[in-house]
Amino acid sequence: MSAVLVARDLRMIRRSVASCFELKISHLEMRSSEVLAVLGSNGAGKSTLLRAFAGLEEPTAGEIVRQGQGPVTMVFQRPIALAGSVLHNVSIALRAQGLPSPEIRRRSNEALEHFGISKLAARPATALSGGELRRLALARAFALEPAVLLLDEPFDDLDAGGQETLSRDLRQAVAQTGVAVGVVTHDLRRAVLVSDRIAVLIDGQLRQVGERNAVLNHPADLKVARLVGMSNLIPAEFDAQGLGTIDALHSIPTGQPGTPGPGWIGIRPEHLKVDVGRGEGTAIGEGELVEFSSDGLLATLTIAWAGQTLRTHLVAGRGLARDLRTGDRVSLALRLEDVHVLRDSPQGEGELLPMA
Amino acid sequence: MAELDGPALLSITLRTLAICGSSLVMALGLGVPIGIWLGSRQFPGRRTLLGLVNSGMGAPPVVVGLLVAQLFYRSGPLGHLELWYSTQAMVTAQILIALPLVIALVVAAVASLDEDWALQVRALGIPPIWRQWLLLREIRLGLLAAVIAALGGILSEVGAVMQTGGNLEGETRVLTTAILMYTRMGLFESAYALAAVLLGLMLVLAGLLTWVQYGERK
Repeated sequence: MSAVLVARDLRMIRRSVASCFELKISHLEMRSSEVLAVLGSNGAGKSTLLRAFAGLEEPTAGEIVRQGQGPVTMVFQRPIALAGSVLHNVSIALRAQGLPSPEIRRRSNEALEHFGISKLAARPATALSGGELRRLALARAFALEPAVLLLDEPFDDLDAGGQETLSRDLRQAVAQTGVAVGVVTHDLRRAVLVSDRIAVLIDGQLRQVGERNAVLNHPADLKVARLVGMSNLIPAEFDAQGLGTIDALHSIPTGQPGTPGPGWIGIRPEHLKVDVGRGEGTAIGEGELVEFSSDGLLATLTIAWAGQTLRTHLVAGRGLARDLRTGDRVSLALRLEDVHVLRDSPQGEGELLPMA
Repeated sequence: MAELDGPALLSITLRTLAICGSSLVMALGLGVPIGIWLGSRQFPGRRTLLGLVNSGMGAPPVVVGLLVAQLFYRSGPLGHLELWYSTQAMVTAQILIALPLVIALVVAAVASLDEDWALQVRALGIPPIWRQWLLLREIRLGLLAAVIAALGGILSEVGAVMQTGGNLEGETRVLTTAILMYTRMGLFESAYALAAVLLGLMLVLAGLLTWVQYGERK
């Protein structure tokens, strides 16, 4: 995978009457045959970054370097249908490029076929449903055979099934064409669904970028940890061997020796196990189930432990998820490799640095 | 003054169509680009300009006629052109009457597009000339509305064309000024004949445009 688009020392300042927003990216690259998810809450600067990558907004400072051939194109958060048929929408950019008719036909048909909207080719684009329009926007972009495809919240207005199908189609297209895809989203699950790498953007600052699992399991700081779903964040005092003491009765071994001092232990909900009957993981004691909720697929357990509120998930309607009731005592365990340690930064104020 | 005969009616009708057609084409030629520019750009003073355009929509045609007549009057700033009581002066007045309507309706059509429309078209790598064509295609219903409104405004207008054209027989006499003249003379049959033609023209043209508009919406 080679870099096809690189942002270096990028700085974008956007002023309005009410506010001033600054986006700062020291280095971020998009690579061929890879999906990069840019994750951030609303107003973090995701769309601004995407528009800069697409060449639609000029950076205040720094540069975005194109490497290699092929166009860069973008699909907006609200897919836009141009007046005319679905086929017209897919082929118009190709016609504007002056491509020969057989080539236009081939690319248009392939794109329509790939995103499952061939049957809609003659239909007015403005008559499509939200999901169909989303597919049209992707087909229109793919027909250009881009080197870089940028997608702004591509899963909006799609139900769970639609998101899964779209994600699969996108992965297939990436594998077949080698296109570099950038997806911005505020939704962690959607980012995880499609991405190879994740870049985390908070308040206009790129806080972390890396392989998907590395970012999910080893967030760079507290804010990133919260954004990537590491919701169990426990303040602890670490000794030289890496034992994190929560209070007189509770501690968690981290297996990560370092300088003694305060910090935080981060555990993803899916990594916190309840009931150690089968002997999996390292037991950390018992907690009390204080809340139980289920969306029919996943049950979320809220457990009080050592004065902390921890969360974990079970598959809904099976095993423990069927038997547990609020107030039950449950045993908690985890694997050492699933424990993430965050040390206090010299600046303090909740800003944390990952343990070396 | 004799009753209106067939050849005179035809001549007045054709002149009306020629003058109004010229005014309409020129008002569209000026108004559409200005409307697109005003509708798609943000800049200081834009609201003031839009306010002026909206005020222009309500400007009394007779006042427009007065200003244009003053402009082309022998002692006026453009008197040396000797266009007072000419079809050119009538066309100028009609353009000024139709222009605010065209601009305002085009601005509304452009403003009703998705705010990311232009960016999306740019993101597809479509060259500027094609982008303009796509934009016109996109706002075509608004354009049709502008044509209907402008045509209605200038075809039925009488005050301004009387002031600038003078209702000269065989030169600047159009349907509205002729109706006014025959009414004053008490030749109501001629006036009704002209009125029927004017109404017929309005109905045919507006009906045609509405039919096109309806066809687009389906």
